[in-house]
Amino acid sequence: MYQTFLSFRYLRARPISWIGVAGIFVAVSALILILSIMSGFLAETRNHLRGSLSDLLIQPHLDRVLMHEGQSVLPKRDSAGILEAVLEDPLVAGASAHYTWYGMLAAAGRERMLSDVNHGDLALVKLVGIDASEEYSVSNLEEDLKRVSLISDERVADPSDPFGPIPGYEPDGRPLDPILVGEQLARFWGLRRGRTLELVTAVLDPKTGNAQEAVSRSFVVAGTFRSKNNDFDMSTLYLPRSVMAEWFGAGREFTDVAVKLKDYKGTKAAAQASLAVRLHELGYLHDPEVTGGMEIRPWEDFQRSMLAAIENEKGLLGIMLSLVLLVAAFSVFAILSMLVQEKRRDIGILCALGASQWGVMGTFLMIGLWEALLGTLLGLGAGIWATLNINAIEQALSNTFGFQIFNREAYAFDHIPTVIEGGGIAAIVLGAFTASLLAAALPAWRAARLNPVEGLRHE
Amino acid sequence: MSESTTPILSVRGVRRSFQAGERKLEVLHGVNLDLAAHGRLCLMGSSGAGKTTLLNIIGLLDRPDEGEVMLQGQDAWSLPNSSRAGLRNRILGFVFQFYHLLPELDALENTTLPARLAGARGTRLREYRSKAKSSLEAFGLGQRLHHRPGKLSGGEQQRVAIARALLMEPQLLIADEPTGNLDRATGDRVLDLLFEEQQRRGFALLLVTHDQRLAKRCERIVHMEDGQIQADSTTPIPH
Repeated sequence: MYQTFLSFRYLRARPISWIGVAGIFVAVSALILILSIMSGFLAETRNHLRGSLSDLLIQPHLDRVLMHEGQSVLPKRDSAGILEAVLEDPLVAGASAHYTWYGMLAAAGRERMLSDVNHGDLALVKLVGIDASEEYSVSNLEEDLKRVSLISDERVADPSDPFGPIPGYEPDGRPLDPILVGEQLARFWGLRRGRTLELVTAVLDPKTGNAQEAVSRSFVVAGTFRSKNNDFDMSTLYLPRSVMAEWFGAGREFTDVAVKLKDYKGTKAAAQASLAVRLHELGYLHDPEVTGGMEIRPWEDFQRSMLAAIENEKGLLGIMLSLVLLVAAFSVFAILSMLVQEKRRDIGILCALGASQWGVMGTFLMIGLWEALLGTLLGLGAGIWATLNINAIEQALSNTFGFQIFNREAYAFDHIPTVIEGGGIAAIVLGAFTASLLAAALPAWRAARLNPVEGLRHE
Repeated sequence: MSESTTPILSVRGVRRSFQAGERKLEVLHGVNLDLAAHGRLCLMGSSGAGKTTLLNIIGLLDRPDEGEVMLQGQDAWSLPNSSRAGLRNRILGFVFQFYHLLPELDALENTTLPARLAGARGTRLREYRSKAKSSLEAFGLGQRLHHRPGKLSGGEQQRVAIARALLMEPQLLIADEPTGNLDRATGDRVLDLLFEEQQRRGFALLLVTHDQRLAKRCERIVHMEDGQIQADSTTPIPH
């Protein structure tokens, strides 16, 4: 095909045509890299949020009367029974009963805290009473306890028994109950393994379950965990569930149950429905038709705004970067328009020698096609290469410019997370290719419409 | 060569005007012209007489407002675009005053271009390439095959243009001031070449020139003035 032959010659002879290729190349590679990094952040964040929240969370309305076997009763409050019932479900991989409550952390001592309310030695924290082995089956806690610290090594002595003996801790009298603190919190308050901390909270009325009076209690730090989610690490404390149940009592052994499914994506809704029915039959939950199934919720429900924000950011960034693609397509348009103007005489010659209008159009469209093909392929290769090597690139750039480009502490990721999304990349490549071809079509059409006589007059 | 043979070209009542601002400029006022197969016609006239416009219409590059251009007995302007492109490729050959070679292609590629435009590939293209090579060698350009137009002299470029025009064995060669941009000696050599090829291959030649010496080498001279044919004379060709 002469169109191929001529388009190659024009491309080779006109170095300016490479600006179009370069534009598409930069746009495609940047889009792929940014999409992969954003997807990586999203996936990593989802992983961490999911890790600490498990898949489903069962939160029975423990103080609301329900109908069970024809009688109005309060929901059952024993943890063993509900765990057994949940684990019976074939869709469930693990379950862990929590006793969750809120308290205030007074690191510098209760008296000081109460005497000087403006001091700031006070933090609102979430107290989660767990059984370690149960919890390991539903969350990443075990890994989080083993994860190397960014600050100082205050990890638990034995991750298989995090509430076990604490090396170097020699109590004066009765040993204090152990507590696990998030690394960020430990750093902020200077909490180290073996140190004591004070929690202030309110106990419940055993009859009504409502908060009744303020109490405080001392604990000993058994170690730190690092979930890579700074907010979570700053606000969560793990205690043995038995300690929580004994402290707060109120006739309940748990407040909620975290459930891990075998196939979360595939069976989320089915598991939610079957557990709601089963636990209602057993007297743990209310009738799902009355509560609308609100007692069992997927973890995303608790992080919806955060996930939506990241997803939204990804979308917005995609739209903004698509403008880069438009600029690249415009450069193809501008350069090809220039070429058509410059080649008016050649167009006249080609017509005189027997080229049809379609043939002339095809020749110039083909130039756009090569630019699009070369730009997208090079961009695809470079984008994927940069994605796979982003951490090495970041390190090299940081070393060259003398400052850390990616702040690992700010994100609590020790690497820049990336995910290569086939669908997204295909859309970028296809988009770039189509945009460039469309941009080439107009000048090519104008070339075909040129009067050959005008071109031949051109000397 | 007699006018009684079927004409390869027959122009009937061709009119052409151009819009120049508010004014309509009548360039051709019903031109009639026949050219026999193998004939050699020289079209003369002052600047603005309408020679080039007529040539563009005959060359199927510019559509007349009225009239017919019969090529090999068919009304070329009634054909669709693609068929006219085919006629330009196979039946017509062009030689221009400014050679009009593509600067990105070398001499051999320029010569082979009409074959590419005709869709020749593979073996056929190789055949055309060897034919083009032979022509260029015969025209004294054997050492210049892979030179781009920028590296060739005017005379050499015009010889490449002639080789290109003849590659598809046209029935009618249209030459617009083929020596207009060359010095006298070079122009003579180019003309010798053109006429020799015409004798050898037997195509019809339609030549536009201002050069009286050149006109004398044509068997028929047509004078144009104000968009009309004023005189049509047949002269013996001196050999």
